[in-house]
Amino acid sequence: MKSRTIGILGGIILALILVSAPVFGMDNKPPATVMIDSLSHLFTGVEFDHNLHVEITEGCSVCHHHRFGNGVVDENCARCHSECQGTFSPTCSDCHVSDPFTGKHIREMEANPNRYHIDIPGLKAAYHLKCLTCHIKEEAPSECVDCHARTDAGNRFYHSGKYAPADGDKNKNHE
Amino acid sequence: MRKISRRGFFKVTAAGSSAVAVSSTKKAFGMKEFHGYPNSMGVLVDLTRCIGCRTCEAACNKEHGLPEPELPFDDFSVFDQVYHDGKEKRRTSDKAFTVVNRYNPKASGGEPVYRKFQCNHCNEPACLTSCFVNAYTKTKEGAVIYNPDVCVGCRMCMVACPFLVPAYTYESALHPQIKKCNFCYDTRLKYGKPPACVEACPQEALTFGHRKTLIKIAHERIRENPKKYVDHVYGETEVGGTSWMYLSGVPFDQLGFNTDLQHHPILDNTKSFLGFVPMVLGIWPALFMGFHLLAKGGKGNDEDKQSNK
Ligand code: SF4
Ligand code: SF4
Repeated sequence: MKSRTIGILGGIILALILVSAPVFGMDNKPPATVMIDSLSHLFTGVEFDHNLHVEITEGCSVCHHHRFGNGVVDENCARCHSECQGTFSPTCSDCHVSDPFTGKHIREMEANPNRYHIDIPGLKAAYHLKCLTCHIKEEAPSECVDCHARTDAGNRFYHSGKYAPADGDKNKNHE
Repeated sequence: MRKISRRGFFKVTAAGSSAVAVSSTKKAFGMKEFHGYPNSMGVLVDLTRCIGCRTCEAACNKEHGLPEPELPFDDFSVFDQVYHDGKEKRRTSDKAFTVVNRYNPKASGGEPVYRKFQCNHCNEPACLTSCFVNAYTKTKEGAVIYNPDVCVGCRMCMVACPFLVPAYTYESALHPQIKKCNFCYDTRLKYGKPPACVEACPQEALTFGHRKTLIKIAHERIRENPKKYVDHVYGETEVGGTSWMYLSGVPFDQLGFNTDLQHHPILDNTKSFLGFVPMVLGIWPALFMGFHLLAKGGKGNDEDKQSNK
């Protein structure tokens, strides 16, 4: 009895959320491009061609897990999420935080000892792990600078370009 | 001039072997087993994620204001550098506290596997226990840090470290210094921030967190992807456990890891070694502490010292 009431209540709440949130595939189209520029200090931002990747991948869930699209690809996700019909927001940053190693975030992840997802990559890693794994496998461009043009600060950071060491051979420092 | 061979070192010390027991050596003897501070932080290095971009090396260089590198950090020809008849790859040095090396192990069919390397911040560091002037400290956050002010330059820690990490700098003959990764303790860790390399890594090949949680995460990654990983977390038990631990897709010995290490602290070995020549070492702290106290006006380095019951 009780669980049924909770179920109904939950259903109503979910319906409300679904209605109020943007739903892809209903009226909102997926974005044609996505600007990725959180590292824009060392690199210029990347304009990610979302349309192109929609065309060449086998479906949204290749990247969006069970959150969106056509069924679950990863069998580890499927153990719990096989029935998931996609959710109201497919945005990466909903789950992948940009600062995964702050004390606050580490404490939050550890607060509930029953929490299953204790190992969620941060946003930067979520992108790279998804993008690069595929790019390397499919022999798509996979050097850093293939996607990221470096800024002056970036060249300084890598001691590259005009900041490259003058004498390549000096101070060999291996003992 | 400072170059004393190991043999020579013992000869010199044996000559003046009247046993002078000084508290610092005593402490090393009396130390009980210690399995790391309960809230120690650590880093899980997942080698299956590393792409060899060397961003971590660049970040380390910047964070610690290290000298200009020999080659740019985006020059991947460094992976071809080998030493000692091709048996050894690049190592950490006084100018690079972390290095990334490339391997082409049999197990991956020759596909490259990259291995980042730095001080592993042992739970019971051999560098610390071998140092008789207590230049090393294991902080409660897990970092093994070093105090150049008390170091006498004997280089015992370099011999004791099972991972050959501490490097010696010859930059100043009067103030010899050991240089190694300090987990960014002074600039980041003690403020609750992750080390610079971790923050910079694009792949999160480096995961920062409580060591206890990292061990759970590591085993969970293996359980979810048994085909992807070797069923071992390197550093969980090696030499009594280390704060930095590794996951790999190929057997660790094919990536230059020492897989013959004992699973209890090196301390035990150091202890029996110290037992073998107690009076030899006894004279050194007295002598150098004397010099040192004269030089420093008696300032000690006792804060935050690992508790030696
Ligand atoms: S790896 Fe070596 S230098 Fe680092 S804590 Fe362990 S014994 Fe000391
Ligand atoms: S920054 Fe990360 S991916 Fe790049 S070499 Fe270092 S550990 Fe590997």
